[in-house]
Amino acid sequence: MAYEYQAVHALDGTIGAIAERRANHLSVHRTTAVAMVLAVPGQTAEAAGILLSSGEFEARFSGPGEWLVLSEVHAPETLAAELSVRLGDFAFVVDQSHGRVVLTLSGPDAARILANGIAVDLHADAFPVGRAANVLCSHLSINLARTGNESFDLVVMRSFAEALVDDLKVMARSHDLSVDFATR
Amino acid sequence: MASLISCPHCGTRPKEEFFIRGDATPVRPALMAAEEVWHDYVHLRANPRGRIREHWQHVAGCRRWLVVERDNFTHEVFGVTDAAKAGEGAR
Ligand SMILES: [Zn+2]
Repeated sequence: MAYEYQAVHALDGTIGAIAERRANHLSVHRTTAVAMVLAVPGQTAEAAGILLSSGEFEARFSGPGEWLVLSEVHAPETLAAELSVRLGDFAFVVDQSHGRVVLTLSGPDAARILANGIAVDLHADAFPVGRAANVLCSHLSINLARTGNESFDLVVMRSFAEALVDDLKVMARSHDLSVDFATR
Repeated sequence: MASLISCPHCGTRPKEEFFIRGDATPVRPALMAAEEVWHDYVHLRANPRGRIREHWQHVAGCRRWLVVERDNFTHEVFGVTDAAKAGEGAR
């Protein structure tokens, strides 16, 4: 499907053009292919198996039988259709590419910054690399995933992206943080 | 403490992530049950002190309905189950 309208990022005009990258950096993805997958009752294991067997998808736990699926391989315009074909009758798929904003927080203080607004144990033993969860960050519900020892992905509803970035700046007030769009 | 709830799907979370619906013990009457029975189900609550069962929804997490069994005097939490597993469903 081709989009006729002009795509404007939810954070256009509010961030960007920083002079230098600080020790901790919040990188806002320009475009990301995101889709919500909800397994048909009783088909959770089958749907999970299909999602996990392919290296093209990153399935982030959202609830029982429910995942937020991100992809670096597929385009926002094609991810949902691709997932629908692969999952067949095992799950329902809804495109979220234009409904969500993906941010990556990385740096030595990443977990400490997040701990200022998220009441979930983020120690690497309790929340290891690869773990994802829907959590409350300040007053916003987001999907948090640990992508590395010192890096986390945050997926937020598009219209809350600006509020989330503002909250993260406050949470990082005693740490060195820069915010910008991802370069690629 | 009731300020920390262990969601069976998400782990230990602060109570701010949840919405509390109320008493989980009333059982929905049959559609054509007597008016007094429906009145009882819709309006009357015992409001006991002590061990109670409540419907909580994990709105900021998995969004599932849960049944939380807790003491409303000591704040001790005895157990948290998915409402569907508890054989009730959130009605
Ligand atoms: Zn939960």
